[in-house]
Amino acid sequence: MRNRKAMVGLGAIAGVVLLWFALTRWFGIIPIGRFPTPGEFWDALKQIELRGFAGSRLHAHALHSLRLIVISFLVAVATGIPLGLLMGWNRRAEALINPVFMLIRPIPPLAWIPLAILWLGLGDAAKVMVIWFAAFVPSVINAHAGVRNIDRSMIEAARMMGTPPHRLVMEVIVPAAMPMIFTGLRLSLQASWTTLVAAELVGALVGVGFVLNVAQQDIFPAMILVGMLTVGVLGWFTTYVLGLVERRVLAWSVQGRA
Amino acid sequence: MGAIRFDNVGKVFGRANSGFAALEAVDLDIREREFVAIVGPSGCGKTTCLRMVAGFESVSSGRVLVNDRVVKAPGSDRAVVFQQFALFPWKTVRQNIEFGLRNKRTPRDERNELVDDVLKLMTLESHRDAYPHQLSGGMQQRVAIARAYVLDPDVLLMDEPFGALDAQTRVVMQEELVRLARINPRTVLFITHAVEEAVYLADRVAIMSRRPGTIKEVIDVKTVRTSEDWDGFEKIEDVMDLESFVHLRTRIWKSLREEKVAVDG
Repeated sequence: MRNRKAMVGLGAIAGVVLLWFALTRWFGIIPIGRFPTPGEFWDALKQIELRGFAGSRLHAHALHSLRLIVISFLVAVATGIPLGLLMGWNRRAEALINPVFMLIRPIPPLAWIPLAILWLGLGDAAKVMVIWFAAFVPSVINAHAGVRNIDRSMIEAARMMGTPPHRLVMEVIVPAAMPMIFTGLRLSLQASWTTLVAAELVGALVGVGFVLNVAQQDIFPAMILVGMLTVGVLGWFTTYVLGLVERRVLAWSVQGRA
Repeated sequence: MGAIRFDNVGKVFGRANSGFAALEAVDLDIREREFVAIVGPSGCGKTTCLRMVAGFESVSSGRVLVNDRVVKAPGSDRAVVFQQFALFPWKTVRQNIEFGLRNKRTPRDERNELVDDVLKLMTLESHRDAYPHQLSGGMQQRVAIARAYVLDPDVLLMDEPFGALDAQTRVVMQEELVRLARINPRTVLFITHAVEEAVYLADRVAIMSRRPGTIKEVIDVKTVRTSEDWDGFEKIEDVMDLESFVHLRTRIWKSLREEKVAVDG
């Protein structure tokens, strides 16, 4: 069954590639120069990986971006989830933090870029800060909602069994909120990639966003496409890894089984 | 161990002067190892009574005592079986049952022994490693009862425990509960709106009035059960056919009916 699903997926991708050939080469529906042909794309891919482009080879750009994502995402999750849990569980903490959070939350992460560059320069620190902010918000919101939506009788069951506070948190509240927390993590990851590419477009010396930026200045559509697809593949990969973790952690749940 | 006492208990929800009165002057004494069922029209506050004994809800006036001590907070001396089971879905059957014992810091060997015993008692051995969502409703409620029993509580509080089950499963569970009560008697406070269930299970049935709820009448079942030897019958339907059973059921039913009429009229 799973194999079959994978086959269908690969088939669909092959279909898109065929369509690409058809539109750019065989029928010439898309004019030359407007959109790269598969051949031009392949040449650009070879160029960036073998000789380098925008200062580095493709895998160096990709690894650099991936590393930034992983670091920022982990920092955001490690700060966002506890804050969300705290707000969900403690009414006083919620009353104190939530108004401030509600005010900062609508600020698009990209609006932090100028300040981040001003403070931290064009290096990685500024990007971590901006991505952290982008990924932080969904983590907080979903952990918060996850705790607020816990079935009250679940908490009461724990209390009637004389559960001490630390076990109540670690063995009841956190697992009960876990499905919602993972929803938040998926949103956080998506937001991380969006923000990373934007941050690298604005100011960077290495990374997939920087590749896009240079390729645009060079008017090099095939290289732009290489950069875009690299982001796609990396994004897919990180989502896939998160999915593996989720399936393990939520093995007990009905959704986790699927 | 395990006497429960409601002493002139009142409960007002919302603000003291503008809220609505849920319970008024509830007086009820439940003896050690007695099985008392409370029946009453919906919204009469019978679940609130149970939640007060559990320590989930405070009293607005009067006192609720267990073993002559005023109830202040929940505790494992008063185990609760919830209508919606309230099992932890991320824990296996075994882990769910074990959870309360770990809170009590029961040593591992003793813990394993107690859990094995209760798994056997509730015929759950073959499901020990299953997660709750893999079990039927009846099986889940067995786990919830096992989880309560394993704590060795003075008092068992059951809040419409079979309300979410289908009719056949419910009958099996009722028979099961009678079997358990014989093997290992506890003080039980059982909330239900099913009159037959109350008569079949309880030593005494307390009938509550409509809101603000109070104990209207307490009917002795045990005397009849003993003199008519209900326990000599294996199947619930045989007991329910007995004239003595029908008589008690009808009596309670009529008393409840008065409350209904009073509401509708």
